[in-house]
Amino acid sequence: MNTLLNINPWSIFDDLLNVNSRAFKSIRSRAAGRFPPINMFMDESAVIIDVELPGKSASDIKLELEPQAVTIEDSPTVKEGEEKREGEWRRRIELPFRVEAEKANAKFQDGILRIELPKAEALGKRRITITD
Amino acid sequence: MNEKTYSTPAATFTERAEDYVLEVVLPGIAKDEVELNLEGKTLTLKTASKYNNPAGFKLVAAEFERGDWAMSFDLPEMADTATISAKNSKGILSITIKKRPVAAARRIEIG
Repeated sequence: MNTLLNINPWSIFDDLLNVNSRAFKSIRSRAAGRFPPINMFMDESAVIIDVELPGKSASDIKLELEPQAVTIEDSPTVKEGEEKREGEWRRRIELPFRVEAEKANAKFQDGILRIELPKAEALGKRRITITD
Repeated sequence: MNEKTYSTPAATFTERAEDYVLEVVLPGIAKDEVELNLEGKTLTLKTASKYNNPAGFKLVAAEFERGDWAMSFDLPEMADTATISAKNSKGILSITIKKRPVAAARRIEIG
């Protein structure tokens, strides 16, 4: 994949120092341990996020959507006889635009979770009548 | 000749009472994208991934490379290679090989 050649490697570090940046926020996971890597793609109408989660399936992960962010959380399936374990990581990803919750979908395939988030319909311009 | 780079996947090898299990982490790889070969006691695997950017989409962040993987693994002496079986599920390839049965001790008659 040649797309990586267009990224300035040092800009990643600038981002980490900026508390408001996406890079800084996504580093804060629940445990100091690892969280899954993502690939993110976009076009004018949607964002697609691929999360690398080998060995996991739908019941192991919790997804929460905000108007312009998505949170992926480790939510381990409780096996029979086991106590409920706390998840090991949580990752919040800010999105480049607002997305429509009802049209979002997520699917696991061979250990990769693909989350598709269509852009929210733009609110039209409305003319406001002025009264005297 | 075109150069091609492969990475080594994460793998764990477990010895159990009756068999060995090799688990290889290959996220995004479907059954038909892995080539698994056995020559003598050496297992080799190679992936030919079809993963790509969704058509028309621009890459915004890339944290996992999706190149191809390759690895080779020498099975232990006790592995009975005729019993090898492999299963691919949720991005993990699981290969099981039974152990050779140990011959029971025999009393030898002296003529």
